[in-house]
Amino acid sequence: MTQSEPAVEVRDLVKEFPAPGGGTIRAVDGVSFSVRRGEIFGFLGPNGAGKTTTLEVVEGLASPTSGQTFVLGSDSHKDAARVKSRIGVQLQAAAYFDHLRLDEILELFGSFYPRSVSPDVLLAKVGLSEKRRARLKELSGGQAQRFSIVAAMVNDPEVLFLDEPTTGLDPQARRHLWDVIGSINREEGKTIVLTTHYMEEAELLCDRVAIIDNGRIVALDTPLGLVRQLPAAYRIAFATGRAIDEEDLARLPGVAEVAALPNGERRYELRVRDPQATLFAFTTWARDRQVALDDVRVSPATLEEVFLSLTGHALRE
Amino acid sequence: MRKLFVASLKMLYRDKQTLFYALLFPVIFAVVFGLFDFSRGPKVDIAMVGARTSPVYRALVEGLRPVASFSVKEGRTLASARAALTAGDIDVVLSVPGEPPAGSSPAIGPAVIEVLYNQSNFDTNQFALGAIERIVDRLNLTLSGVRSPPLVVAPNGVKARTIDYYDFLLPGLVAMGVMQFSIIGMAVAIARFREQRILKRILATPLAPSKFLVAQVGARLVLSVVQAALIMAVGMVLFGARVYGSIFWIVALAAVANLIFLNIGVAVAGRAPNPDAAQGIGNVVALPMMFLSGVFFPTETLPAAMRAVVRYLPLTPLIEALRTIANDGLPITAAGSQLALLGVWVLVSFLLANRAFRFARA
Ligand SMILES: Nc1ncnc2c1ncn2[C@@H]1O[C@H](COP(=O)(O)OP(=O)(O)OP(=O)(O)O)[C@@H](O)[C@H]1O
Ligand SMILES: [Mg+2]
Repeated sequence: MTQSEPAVEVRDLVKEFPAPGGGTIRAVDGVSFSVRRGEIFGFLGPNGAGKTTTLEVVEGLASPTSGQTFVLGSDSHKDAARVKSRIGVQLQAAAYFDHLRLDEILELFGSFYPRSVSPDVLLAKVGLSEKRRARLKELSGGQAQRFSIVAAMVNDPEVLFLDEPTTGLDPQARRHLWDVIGSINREEGKTIVLTTHYMEEAELLCDRVAIIDNGRIVALDTPLGLVRQLPAAYRIAFATGRAIDEEDLARLPGVAEVAALPNGERRYELRVRDPQATLFAFTTWARDRQVALDDVRVSPATLEEVFLSLTGHALRE
Repeated sequence: MRKLFVASLKMLYRDKQTLFYALLFPVIFAVVFGLFDFSRGPKVDIAMVGARTSPVYRALVEGLRPVASFSVKEGRTLASARAALTAGDIDVVLSVPGEPPAGSSPAIGPAVIEVLYNQSNFDTNQFALGAIERIVDRLNLTLSGVRSPPLVVAPNGVKARTIDYYDFLLPGLVAMGVMQFSIIGMAVAIARFREQRILKRILATPLAPSKFLVAQVGARLVLSVVQAALIMAVGMVLFGARVYGSIFWIVALAAVANLIFLNIGVAVAGRAPNPDAAQGIGNVVALPMMFLSGVFFPTETLPAAMRAVVRYLPLTPLIEALRTIANDGLPITAAGSQLALLGVWVLVSFLLANRAFRFARA
């Protein structure tokens, strides 16, 4: 067992479920990827894409139909006990015991492991020290999610699996949770594998993102790398004082598409491959045509667009 | 494992709703049945009609008074006594003729004591008419001047062990209480753990899932000791139920046999897709036993074919063994065949639980 082994390695994973009307549903259809130690790795995909199923096979909770999964160099099914003692698992929408207090739940789960972190230390990590004597149902949604993250850390795991840690939270609570997850990763060096529906979350939080749809990984790269795969990965947005000739603009180098934004204020958007080259030509064009430019912005495309271009459908229908 | 057991006990103790069902429900049964008085014989109200001064009248009243279950009412006319009989306020009307007219001789036949009674009240009639006839016989002997009858009955009742219906019922209620709570309570609790994904969450730790179930069963076993002791205490202290054997063994046997019902509860949870289904299936399993296994009446009253099956249900030998101790005052060893059957059930129910419970479906 060496440090160079990946935190997670999945080879040709297939998972089928019996379909209600006979036959089978292929929830995971030949997935391979590996997660490096110390990174935050995200699965981005719509409902039913196979995110939870993939994680559960990796965690050793469900057996694969075919393929292999390894965590920290150990087979998560043949060597399940070893893997379970080294990982932390937050399940999608799982509850804890209604009748135990937060510190009692952490104490109890800690007793399942050979060595465990004290409840006080864990609760302090996520700002829940005052709530140690509370029941889970007395917490807000954001607090409950924070609790379920530290409940997955009672054994000081090397790899932390978080299934939709921020789903259902308001933007403020979501941001707070990103801070928590980010600091667990940076300060404690834990590898984190998470799933999400939110582009923004994947872009801001994850080192690398696997886009998954219909049980297959359709792309896997850093957020920026994914965006760069698009034929026109950037956009230049601007406003003008007068109407312009769109065809004229489309002939500028590197411009893939010109669109008038639909708010009736003479705002336009250029989809471009190489913003540097295009910007130069664009400003020259404006000077030559005596077009007064206003509010020029350059931004990369979003993962939403990446998703749309890769799968042909929007992330949320 | 110790922490897990303590935590399981805590959860149970803090779950007031479960505690309520476990403890209050069977106690309510014990109280409700305790409020009936099963020990009294029939009470017979007898109205005396006729001339109060006649010696026959006097002799009858004196003969009837000492009988504890007779309540003799005087002072009604025949008509009003008849009306009271029809209305059900009076069970028997004794109409005694007046003084025989002067100069009449025995030759005109005996004076007739008319007895009117409610025909629909069979038990009361048998008892009351028999007693009245005996009193009249004695009177006849006296009137005929027989001072020492050639034959007398010397009643010499042997004081047998008194068991009334409540004494019989109480061990049944103990068994029913632990069974109901264990099968349904355990099944619903585990189904709920699964629904909340707590079982899956535990599966993600190195803890063997079976240990979690064992701790749950153990905690409920402790509760069933409390439950059995409480039902017995309510029956004995508040309602004077007679228990002739060892209370320790009654409670211990109920608790240990409860392992069977807890295992069945786990098995039910293994089959049930959700808590509601667990409740339903639990009832389907528990209710027939509750009515057939002799909680409320001896299984001897069942049709033979039915009894042949019912005697093997786990609740039946438990109740029989409990009654052997409580009602017959015998040691637990006297219920050998029942204990053997319970032992087999412990094993069978464990295998059922093991088989039915697919932890992977957690
Ligand atoms: N136990 C199961 N039995 C049958 N089908 C299942 C089971 N679990 C998942 N599936 C199916 O497998 C597919 C993938 O489900 P999965 O839960 O992995 O999706 P997901 O990406 O996690 O979705 P979400 O974002 O909604 O959580 C779905 O079509 C789902 O219906
Ligand atoms: Mg999911």
